[in-house]
Amino acid sequence: MSENLTVLLLDDEPIVGRRLKPALAKIGCDVEVFEDPEEALARVGQKEFDVVVTDIRMDQIDGMQVLEFVRDRWPRCKVIMITGYAMMSLAREAMEKGAFDFIAKPFKPDDLRRVIAKAAKALGSSIDFETPAETADA
Amino acid sequence: MPEGPHPHGGLDPNEADDLAAEAAAIEGRLGLARDAEQARRALLARPRFSLRLQIFLGNAIAFLVAVAVAVALVASFHRMESKTRFLEIVNDYVMQVEQARRFEKNFFLYGTNLSDAQDNVFQAEAILNRNAEELSAIMGENWRELILPNLHAYARLLERLDQRSRGDQPLSKSERIKVQSQVRAQGQQMVSSALAVLSKEKAALGEVITRSRHLLFYSMGMLLVFMIVHAYLLGTRMLSSINRFGSYAHRIASGDFTPVTPTRRYRDEFTELALAINTMIEELENREAVLVQSHKMRAVGTLTAGVAHELNNPMNNITLTAHVLQEDYPDLNDEERREMIGDVVGEAERAKKIISNLLDFARESGSQLEPLDLPLLLQETIALAGNQIKLSGIKIHYQGSGNLPRVHGDSQQLRQVFLNLILNAIDASHKGGKIQVLVLPADEPNYLAVKVIDEGTGIPAHIISSIFDPFFTTKGKGKGTGLGLSVSQGIVVKHGGRIMVSSHEGQGTTFTVVLPVTTIPANLSKKAASA
Repeated sequence: MSENLTVLLLDDEPIVGRRLKPALAKIGCDVEVFEDPEEALARVGQKEFDVVVTDIRMDQIDGMQVLEFVRDRWPRCKVIMITGYAMMSLAREAMEKGAFDFIAKPFKPDDLRRVIAKAAKALGSSIDFETPAETADA
Repeated sequence: MPEGPHPHGGLDPNEADDLAAEAAAIEGRLGLARDAEQARRALLARPRFSLRLQIFLGNAIAFLVAVAVAVALVASFHRMESKTRFLEIVNDYVMQVEQARRFEKNFFLYGTNLSDAQDNVFQAEAILNRNAEELSAIMGENWRELILPNLHAYARLLERLDQRSRGDQPLSKSERIKVQSQVRAQGQQMVSSALAVLSKEKAALGEVITRSRHLLFYSMGMLLVFMIVHAYLLGTRMLSSINRFGSYAHRIASGDFTPVTPTRRYRDEFTELALAINTMIEELENREAVLVQSHKMRAVGTLTAGVAHELNNPMNNITLTAHVLQEDYPDLNDEERREMIGDVVGEAERAKKIISNLLDFARESGSQLEPLDLPLLLQETIALAGNQIKLSGIKIHYQGSGNLPRVHGDSQQLRQVFLNLILNAIDASHKGGKIQVLVLPADEPNYLAVKVIDEGTGIPAHIISSIFDPFFTTKGKGKGTGLGLSVSQGIVVKHGGRIMVSSHEGQGTTFTVVLPVTTIPANLSKKAASA
């Protein structure tokens, strides 16, 4: 078991954070959840995360700005974009700006876990991602 | 529309709404048809006095006057002719008589023959007898009593004188003087009475001529005055009607579809025009309803993309929650499970709201008039456009002062107007721009004003006058229909309000919609006819 992957999750929908934090913790991620992009950016300024997961459409700050900021500050960091407004143009723009991957809402926790596992592999620290089956604890 | 509690065993509230809306739509259409029918009856209920009839009557009267004048003149000519004829007769008679007098004078002076004079007297009588008819026609049947005794007396005197002068008993001097004076007196009387008749008739002839001249002048003058008056009446009648119909056309063009109602006491060709225009208004009204609906569907199309994307958020929350619940069910305590199920329920409710907001707006309905809370309606509209606003990265600020009076109107149609203004503002704004929506009491009492202010590109001064024209658009091909503002204007006018625009190029645009509050209930299907 390598050391945990640090993940910053930014989405202005509170439920997203509430559900994904434990779901990602299960595969060995330390997740910090933010609903406010300003706070998230401030946190990114202080600390290098392995993975940043950000929503694109938010009121004050656009996810694209978050992507640019993170890419600029921590080139190693993998940024995963999620959005309800899935449009090809957006996806392309995100990829051009160096996003690691792009996930359209609605997605299952597994979808994100799979992408995060891929990001971990790209970072060189492997995450043993298995579909968390019902852990049959006798 | 606010959802009522779900009636058990009753209709689905949406279905009930649809039915009510349909009923209102049918009711609205019936109301329109009723209005048109009322206007038609009122237009046809008046007595008919057509332009054609007025033209015909005027010309007929002028013709009759001319005929009467001609008849009178012909009669005058006839009288003149007979008078002239009579004058000739009298003139001949006077000449004969005067000739006789001359011979008589010669007789007394030189003792010449009297037979010539007698001859003349005989001729004179012959003239009278020859023209007896004309004389009776002019002087009456008793002309003989007036003229002949005198003539005969003279003739008898001449005869006596002739006999005595030729006979064996010549007249004594005194006798001769006596006879001479008698003859002279008779002769003078004869001549002067004939001359009197002559001058009387001359005067009468003069009078006839003067009278017929006056008749001609006065009747021509009267005819001229009559024709001027007739032309004036006919002209004003036609021009006033034409002007009236011109103003109707302007009124209809500005979206006021009140039927044309009678303004005069009679009906004529313009009544047919009014009926035709009312039919056209009905047709236009139907088409406008279709236009409003189709424009609304266009707006719905614009909004659908945003709504579909917006739906992804609650869907995502439900998906994530459901999956986590499924995955971790055994490890969760009751409270966590309850919280997750609560989230699912809440997000499902949220999704429902997003959709029903759009469906409410999209539903085809007739004009349903109700007192409306304008601030609430504006906030709903902003929510409806919210996704569009999010997509375009523009901030919208709503500002409404509290407790404003309500306006009377059709919530759907007004929502359509404000939505159109907001979407236009979004289109005009730059990324990161700001749109302000304000609702406040208008400058004039009993009116509310809604302002939609953007800081976008503005409208160039040379096209600002045509932005409300149908099919006028500055958007690219296939982007705008150019119907939004013209449809909006139609709706606002129907509500008894006005829509105004002010813009500075490069600085932004302000659209202001002014609507009457409920103290002046607008009526979408019927207004006090002001035609």
